[in-house]
Amino acid sequence: MSNTPTGTVNADATQILGSGRAIIEMKNVDKLFGNFQALTNINMNVGEKEVVVVIGPSGSGKSTMIRCINRLEKHDRGEIIVDGITLSNDVRNIQEIRRETGMVFQSFNLFPHLTVLDNITLAPRQVRNIAKSEAEKTAMELLERVKIPEQARKFPGQLSGGQQQRVAIARSLAMNPKVILFDEPTSALDPEMIKEVLDTMKSLANEGMTMICVTHEMGFAREVADRVVFMADGQIVEVGTPEHFFDNPQEERTKLFLSQIL
Amino acid sequence: MTDTAEAKESAKLAPLHSDTTPAKWVKDNLFNNVMNSIITVLLGVVVVFLLVQSFGWIANEEWEIIRVNLRNFMIGQFPSDQLWRLWTSAFVLIATFGIGTSARAHNSHDDAAEKGLVIERSSLLDLLSRFWPILVFVALVVSFAKTWPPVLGVIAGVSGIVVTRFAGWALPAPIRSRAIPMMAIGTIVSLAVLAGTSGLVALSAGIVALAIAASELSRFFEGSDPKSTAIRTGGPIVIGAATLFIVNAVGFEGYGWEDWGGLHLTLFATVVGIASGMPIGMLLAIGRRSKLPVIKGFCVVFIEFVRGVPLISLLLFSSFILPLLFPPSVETPETLTRAMIVIALFSAAYIAEIIRGGLQAVPKGQTEAAQASGMSAAKIQRLIVMPQALRAVIPAMVGQFISLFKDTSLIATIGVAEFFQYVAISNSQPAFLGKGLQLVTYAFVAVGYWSFAYTMSKESRRLEKQLGVGVR
Repeated sequence: MSNTPTGTVNADATQILGSGRAIIEMKNVDKLFGNFQALTNINMNVGEKEVVVVIGPSGSGKSTMIRCINRLEKHDRGEIIVDGITLSNDVRNIQEIRRETGMVFQSFNLFPHLTVLDNITLAPRQVRNIAKSEAEKTAMELLERVKIPEQARKFPGQLSGGQQQRVAIARSLAMNPKVILFDEPTSALDPEMIKEVLDTMKSLANEGMTMICVTHEMGFAREVADRVVFMADGQIVEVGTPEHFFDNPQEERTKLFLSQIL
Repeated sequence: MTDTAEAKESAKLAPLHSDTTPAKWVKDNLFNNVMNSIITVLLGVVVVFLLVQSFGWIANEEWEIIRVNLRNFMIGQFPSDQLWRLWTSAFVLIATFGIGTSARAHNSHDDAAEKGLVIERSSLLDLLSRFWPILVFVALVVSFAKTWPPVLGVIAGVSGIVVTRFAGWALPAPIRSRAIPMMAIGTIVSLAVLAGTSGLVALSAGIVALAIAASELSRFFEGSDPKSTAIRTGGPIVIGAATLFIVNAVGFEGYGWEDWGGLHLTLFATVVGIASGMPIGMLLAIGRRSKLPVIKGFCVVFIEFVRGVPLISLLLFSSFILPLLFPPSVETPETLTRAMIVIALFSAAYIAEIIRGGLQAVPKGQTEAAQASGMSAAKIQRLIVMPQALRAVIPAMVGQFISLFKDTSLIATIGVAEFFQYVAISNSQPAFLGKGLQLVTYAFVAVGYWSFAYTMSKESRRLEKQLGVGVR
């Protein structure tokens, strides 16, 4: 079967808004799962302090794309550069990039056998060799920031979904990353908990965190995104500011998608 | 969450019991219709018949065979002038483990308090309810004793457990946090007193020293500067190697396990099998999931070969054929040492498959989350995947330990007189030959095996419950 959608041009998302330097550069990236082409010729840059929201129908390769950035998936062709480091097969190179990129998952993926505090301090202590007392101090500050310091000594299983996802955000912040990748952070949440997580993400964006966010929350995209990237069938179909994207989309595929969800 | 669930459960069950008298229960459950009444009466007759038969048998049988052979059953041919080694090593173990476990209980009590949970301090009654099968067996053994020293020793041991429980609880926090190193040192000391400082004891001492040094040094040098990193990584290796060298060089004689026997040897072989089978099994399990064909292939071949042949054939091989394969220049290890290695490798193969099952139960997202934070593959296995995998397989793992405990009786086939073998030995003594006292000895040995196996099983359920707290 052909994965090339007819009538669409593979859009170029390399133009960064604002004057920041590029934290993430993806050049002609292809990804195959066996014979299935999951990503085709992806070109995208993300600038410092920029919030890029990636939307698109399921199976369009959104998650695969951001998972390629920190090598949870291996891309087959093209080049990915994170904070000046070119992603290669070298383990040390991969870990250097992973240290600088935080990730928040759809299903939280907190470590169930560790307390909230230990979840947050684990990576700083193990990867950056930060002293326990210092790591715990930072962790408590982060928990204040996501507004659940009173849960520090509990286990993830004792928390609500929204609280768990906020812990996961604090966990990724603990490594002091240059960019955070959000992979559908609200999709596994009960409706009443989505807001608390989105609010946390909004305040992060306001504080100048560089973010790539795969989401189905159009309100969030419209309000917070600097640029919206629309993907379909493993390609970037259209790129633009939220205003352009939601009010005046150019591509037929985008119009179809928006008409189905709005 | 568990608490409320349990509360609901007991709320549901409570009324059922409260308004039922024994007479009503009997009428409702045993005599509620004609058919059930007939079955109840028939089974009642059978039960009464069996009880009369067995009590009659217990009262009439000749128990002298146990009394005469009690020491053989317990410690085999351990010479009288070396007995102090056994007692000393037992008391060292009781002291360090009594203090250590109680200190750890206090630590987790404090941890829980910090998390706002309340764990009741376990009383001596709890201890009794956990280990009563072993105590019953010990009482049985003591009742067969003909002299005073073993009785006094057991009384001293039991009171030692009571005293050390309180002592361990009362220790200050910095010492309590080192309970595991203390128990490890106690184990090594007790082994050294008993068996002398043979190569294997020195090796274990070195490994323990390395582990303790690693944990202590990382407490004091936790910065990321090159000097701290160098001390953290280099220090333990130097200290471990030095300990190994010193223990090996200083050296004193003991009474090596080649000449041990009875229940003592059975328990020792079990502990060795578990303690060395676990780490080897973990490595095999991880190796079998490796992407490198050489490592994966080796692990698969090893596991499938060992699981594919009976333990007894491996023991016979190690006993009779292996010595022929050693070149004359190399000193062949003694029979029992070879048997212990076989037991360790055999249990490792089974443990590996159990752990592999646990590894598969850990969601892929766990590894991904750890990877995304930049942790190394080894740390992900050690800190994230393995702890969760082990929790998931506690019942199967303890089942394997119990099997191993009973399987050690197979070393009798290579001429080692362990616990079970003394059934045959005592019945072939001139005084008891042909008197048909096998049943008596089998019954005694069965109680022995059962008391330990059942305790392991109870402890496994307790561990599951304990680790289940707060885990999804």
